[in-house]
Amino acid sequence: MTTLTTTTTPTTAPSSTATSARLYGLVAEFENPAQIVAAAEKIRDKGYRYWDCHTPFPVHGLDKAMGIQRTILPVLVFVAGAAGCTTGLALQLFTNSFNFTIWALVWVTGYPFLISGKPALSIPAFVPVMFELTILFSALSCVGLMFLMNGLPKLHNPLFTCDRFRRASDDRFFISIEARDPRFYRSKTEADLKSCGAAAVEAVVED
Amino acid sequence: MAHDHSNTPDLSAGNLTGSGLGAHARNLGLAAALLIGIGAWTGYRSGDTQEFARAYVVAMMFVLAICLGALFFVIIQHLTRAGWSVVVRRPAEALMQNLRWMWILFLPIVWMGWTGRLFELFPWADLAEMAKVSPADAALVGNKAGFLNQKFFFIRAAMYFVIWGGISHYLWSSSLRQDRTGDPAISAANRKWSGPAMILFGFSITFASVDWMMSLSPVWFSTMFGVYFFAVCATCGFSAMTLLCLRLQRDGQLKGIITPEHYQDLGKLLFAFGMVFWAYIAFSQFMLIWYGNLPEETAWYLSRQVGGWLWLSWALLFGHFLIPFVLLISRWPKRWPTTLAIGCVWMLVFGFIDLVYLIVPHVPHDVGDFARYSEFAAAHASDSPHLLDPTLLGLTLGMFCLVLSMTMRSLMGKSLLASRDPSLGESLAFQNM
Repeated sequence: MTTLTTTTTPTTAPSSTATSARLYGLVAEFENPAQIVAAAEKIRDKGYRYWDCHTPFPVHGLDKAMGIQRTILPVLVFVAGAAGCTTGLALQLFTNSFNFTIWALVWVTGYPFLISGKPALSIPAFVPVMFELTILFSALSCVGLMFLMNGLPKLHNPLFTCDRFRRASDDRFFISIEARDPRFYRSKTEADLKSCGAAAVEAVVED
Repeated sequence: MAHDHSNTPDLSAGNLTGSGLGAHARNLGLAAALLIGIGAWTGYRSGDTQEFARAYVVAMMFVLAICLGALFFVIIQHLTRAGWSVVVRRPAEALMQNLRWMWILFLPIVWMGWTGRLFELFPWADLAEMAKVSPADAALVGNKAGFLNQKFFFIRAAMYFVIWGGISHYLWSSSLRQDRTGDPAISAANRKWSGPAMILFGFSITFASVDWMMSLSPVWFSTMFGVYFFAVCATCGFSAMTLLCLRLQRDGQLKGIITPEHYQDLGKLLFAFGMVFWAYIAFSQFMLIWYGNLPEETAWYLSRQVGGWLWLSWALLFGHFLIPFVLLISRWPKRWPTTLAIGCVWMLVFGFIDLVYLIVPHVPHDVGDFARYSEFAAAHASDSPHLLDPTLLGLTLGMFCLVLSMTMRSLMGKSLLASRDPSLGESLAFQNM
C-alpha cells in the first residue's frame, strides 16, 4: 500500500490540504441510494478495482452496479460440511467398529465396542454425530471464511479519519477509491467522481 | 440496478385476473370425477374393504396435507409480517380455502362409523373384534379407550374441520375484503389472530394425524408422529403452491409480479421443510425406536421392512431427501422455473409415497416373541407396496384434481394478487441479498 501511494501519488498540485501525509484515497459523498447506484455503475465501467461503497443500510442492486461477482463461500461451506460428515463417520468407525492402529500424534488402536447389543458397525447410531459435525464444520467454516475473505477483523480504516465520512452510518452514501488502484490519478479520479454526481469529494490520508 | 425501483410491474386487471381458470376448473373437475370413479369402482370390486379404506385415507390425507401446508404458509406469513411473500400469498390462500369444504371428504369415514364398520379401518373401534386376533393387543388398546372411542373420535374430527375451516375462511375472506377496501387494519387484524391460529393449527394437525394415521395401528405410538405429518403437509403444500404459481404465470398472468427472487424463496422453504426437516424428523423417529428396540414400537418398522416395503423405505431416504437435496441446494435450480417445477412434482410424488408408507402396511401383533417375528417376516417376504394400484392411484389423483379444480374455481373473477396489501410494494421490489 505504501509503495503504491508513493509511486502513483499525482504530480499535479493537490487541491488543498496536507501534502506531507501519504494519500489513502478519495471519498465521494452522495445524497441518496439512486445516486450512489448510478455512480457505482460508472466507476465500475471506468475499470477501478480498489474501491468500495459505504451505505447506512443495504441498497438493493448495488452489488450488481459495482460488478461484484457472486461469492464462492457456499461451495466452500458445502465442502467443509462434507468433510465434517466424513470426519464424524471416520471417527466412529475407528472408535466403535474396527481395531485399526493409526498414528494420531501417538499410536492409537481402536477396538469394537459393544453398545446396547447393536452391531459394531451401526450406521443409524452414527448419524447424529455425523450430522452434528456436518453442522459444526459448516457453521465454523462459514463464519471463519467470511471473516477471512472480507479481510476481517480490521480494527481501523483510514476512512475513519475523515469527519465527513461519519455520516456513512447515518444519512449519506459514500464511494471510496483507494490510491493504490492502478487507475488512480488524483485529479482524474476526482473529476470522475464529480462527474458521477458526487455532492463532495474529499481526500483521505493515511494515519 | 437503478431501475429495479422505478420499474413497476403491470398491475392492470388483465395481468391480475385469470382468463383460463373456468376451463381449467371444468377439465380438472371432469378428470377428478373420472379418476375417483375408477378408484371407487375398482376398490368396490376388489371386495377388500380394509385396503379400499386405507387407499381412501391415503388420498384424503394427501389433499389435506396440501391444503394444510398452504394454511401453514399463510398463517406464518401474517404472523411474521412477511413482506416478500405478498405476491405469492393469493395462490396459497386459494389452496388453503379448500379446507372449508373438505369435511365432505371425511363423510365416508363417518358412514363407516354409522354402519358399525369403523373397525375395518381402525381396529380400536371394536375391541371384541380385535381380541379375536390378539387378546393381548386388545387389552393394551382397551386402556386407551378413554381417548380412542368412536364418539370422541368423531367429536374431535368435527373440531379439526371447524378449526381449519374457520381459520381459512377468516383469512380468505379478510384477504378478499382488503382487495376491495385496501384497509391496512385488516393486515393488522390478521397478524393479531395468526398467533392463536398457529397454536390451534399445531394442536389440530398433531391430533388429526394421531387419530387418522397413527391409530390405524393402535398399539404403536410415536411422539414424533404429529411433527412427521407436519413435514408431510409442508412438503405437499409448498410444492403444490409453487406449482400453482408457475402454472398461473405460464397461463400469462402475474407477469413480472412473481419473479425468480420469490421462486428462490419458495424453493428454499421446500428445501428446508420438505427435504431437510423431513429427513431430520423421520430419522429421529426411526432412530429412537431402533435404539430402544421395544417390540411394541419396532413392529411398526418391521411391517415396513418386509418384502417390497424395504425398497420403499430406501426409496424414501433417497427420493425424499438425498436426490432432491442435491438437486435444489444450489441457487440456480430454485430460480429457473423448469428445475423448480421438476423438484416440486418430484416432492409431491414422494409426499404421496410417504403417505402410502405411513398408512398402508399392517402392523403385526405380538412380535415380541422371536418365533412370531420370524414367522411374520417369512410370511410377508413377498409383500409389495402396490403404488400403481388403480384404487390408490385413482382416488389420490382424483382428489388432487378435485382440489385443483376447486382452487381454480375459487380464483375465478378474483384478483390473483393481494393487490392492496400494504406490503405489496416491498414484495414487488423484493431481492435476495
